[in-house]
Amino acid sequence: MSDLIGYLVTGLGIGAGFALVASGLVAIYRVTRVVNFAQGAFAVLAAMLTASLLGAGVPHGLAELGGVTLGALTGLLVGAVAVGRPGTSPGTSLIVTLGLGVLAYAVEIVIWGDQPRSYPGVPGVAELAGARLQAHYLLIIAVTVPVFALMAWFFTRTDPGRALSACASNRYAAQVVGIDVRRMGLLAFTLGGALGGLAGVLTTPVQQVTFDSDVALIVNGFAAAVLGGLTRPVVALAGGLLLGVAQTLAAGYGGGAYQVEVALVLMLTVMIVQAARTGPVAETAR
Amino acid sequence: MRRWIPAGLLIAVLALLPPLLPERHLATFVLLALAATVTVGVSLLMGYAGQVSLGQASFYAIGAYAAGLLAVHGVPPLLGLLAAPVIAAVAATLLGAPLLRLRGHHLAFATLAVQLILLSLLAQADWAGGAIGLQGIPRLSIGGFELRADLGYAYAAGSVLLIAVLIARNVIESRAGRGMRAAATSETAAAASGVAIGGYRLAVFALSAAFAGLAGGVYAFYLGYLAPGSFPVLLSIEFVVMAVVGGLGTIAGPLVGAGVIVLLVQLLNTLGTQPGMPGYAPAVLSYAVYAVILVVCVLYLPKGLVPAARSAAGKLRRGSA
Repeated sequence: MSDLIGYLVTGLGIGAGFALVASGLVAIYRVTRVVNFAQGAFAVLAAMLTASLLGAGVPHGLAELGGVTLGALTGLLVGAVAVGRPGTSPGTSLIVTLGLGVLAYAVEIVIWGDQPRSYPGVPGVAELAGARLQAHYLLIIAVTVPVFALMAWFFTRTDPGRALSACASNRYAAQVVGIDVRRMGLLAFTLGGALGGLAGVLTTPVQQVTFDSDVALIVNGFAAAVLGGLTRPVVALAGGLLLGVAQTLAAGYGGGAYQVEVALVLMLTVMIVQAARTGPVAETAR
Repeated sequence: MRRWIPAGLLIAVLALLPPLLPERHLATFVLLALAATVTVGVSLLMGYAGQVSLGQASFYAIGAYAAGLLAVHGVPPLLGLLAAPVIAAVAATLLGAPLLRLRGHHLAFATLAVQLILLSLLAQADWAGGAIGLQGIPRLSIGGFELRADLGYAYAAGSVLLIAVLIARNVIESRAGRGMRAAATSETAAAASGVAIGGYRLAVFALSAAFAGLAGGVYAFYLGYLAPGSFPVLLSIEFVVMAVVGGLGTIAGPLVGAGVIVLLVQLLNTLGTQPGMPGYAPAVLSYAVYAVILVVCVLYLPKGLVPAARSAAGKLRRGSA
């Protein structure tokens, strides 16, 4: 029983990381219809910078803030290249973000080398209903939940947030009422970058980061986001948590093997079922 | 008659170039020809069937492992090489039946997921050598004549490329090819005109997988050693880069794209391994090249090098006439 609780909480912690990556994807996709392949790179860059800052003696909190800021700036930069040119189709933008993700590899290796990096998070072991787990997982959950609440508030209660939601629901109508859709796209990319960066900064103490860990992050993030059709942040949160728990349960009871497969097969199943429900032809999606 | 000129040119290059190359460049030639073979399939898939595959390296891996495993277990290498594309195509058909319901970025992520699953399974499969890899694959032998030198593999890879190009050309010019081109522009219109879209999409997917499998088979015998690490996700992305840069929906595009990128990466590799360069230089330079070429090409030459060159040549001709 205590094993189960341990796995559950650890899974929620890992899943919260996926959910943050997913929410970044959703924030960008809603507004621009672009699936941002460089989302994992934001996390890696932020984590790498945080590791360096901590190594240079910058206190916790400030170092993490630096990482998230770098994520946001990178997001803005990626957005400027991917959607900055008027008339770029979402399919083209996807390929552009794919290229920028690979470019991030080059930058990361030049600055930080190709060895895995990590830094200490919340030290110690927490006890929860008899289960022992790394205390850092609790921090991940404790940060993720308010972040999602803050996002819900931002999207529904503030002017820029409502402008973003307007672009998401009807680009044309948003343009008509005077919202600069392109600038909103850049704002969405910046927000996505910050969320991706936050995911990287939070999960690195429990999961080492290398320059190419972005593939695992983006695939898991996409898997979480696709549950909500890439447009609903709250479903993405639920999806991320579900994915994290499924993976830790599979790893815990399956002896460590096949945890990658669990998430991926789940994602494939969800997508195929969704496609079967909505019908295969969606020409407007191009 | 004119339509045979490019084919003749290709045959001439593939037949005459290898003996002229110094030994150290033959390896590049082999890898280039194999990459071009896979890219022909990717270009067919993206340009004619409108599907993005970010997992094409998985069929390369399936072909390579199929040929390698068969040969290790005593099947004649040539038979193993012939089985490689068949097994890859069968795998693609089985995977494609559910996956090809997906479109656009969903399909891209689905194919990526398939490759990650395959790599993870291969790393855990003891019968395929696990994470350490499959060792001791015999060399390719055809009728008792064993290919040892790189020159032999240069011809093997060249023949494989030629087969892929000829098949792709015939498919494009067939009735099915026209139907697919129509479907890539508008599925609804094509379906309304009586094109059996589902079947064609699956067939192209299987065909492109067969090309990748065939190239993978040659790769297995050429290197004699296979590991999951030889088929990273980045390899799949490289094939997409080559196809996009060369120009989707043309036959010459994948050849030009693969040629330009492999040669450029090779050049930078030589540059990066010069004394005085840091140890990470080759990797960094190749990542940067893939990324910059892909982004610049997609944004400023969206049709790719070959169509851009053709329209430039057409303008020149009209200008002088």
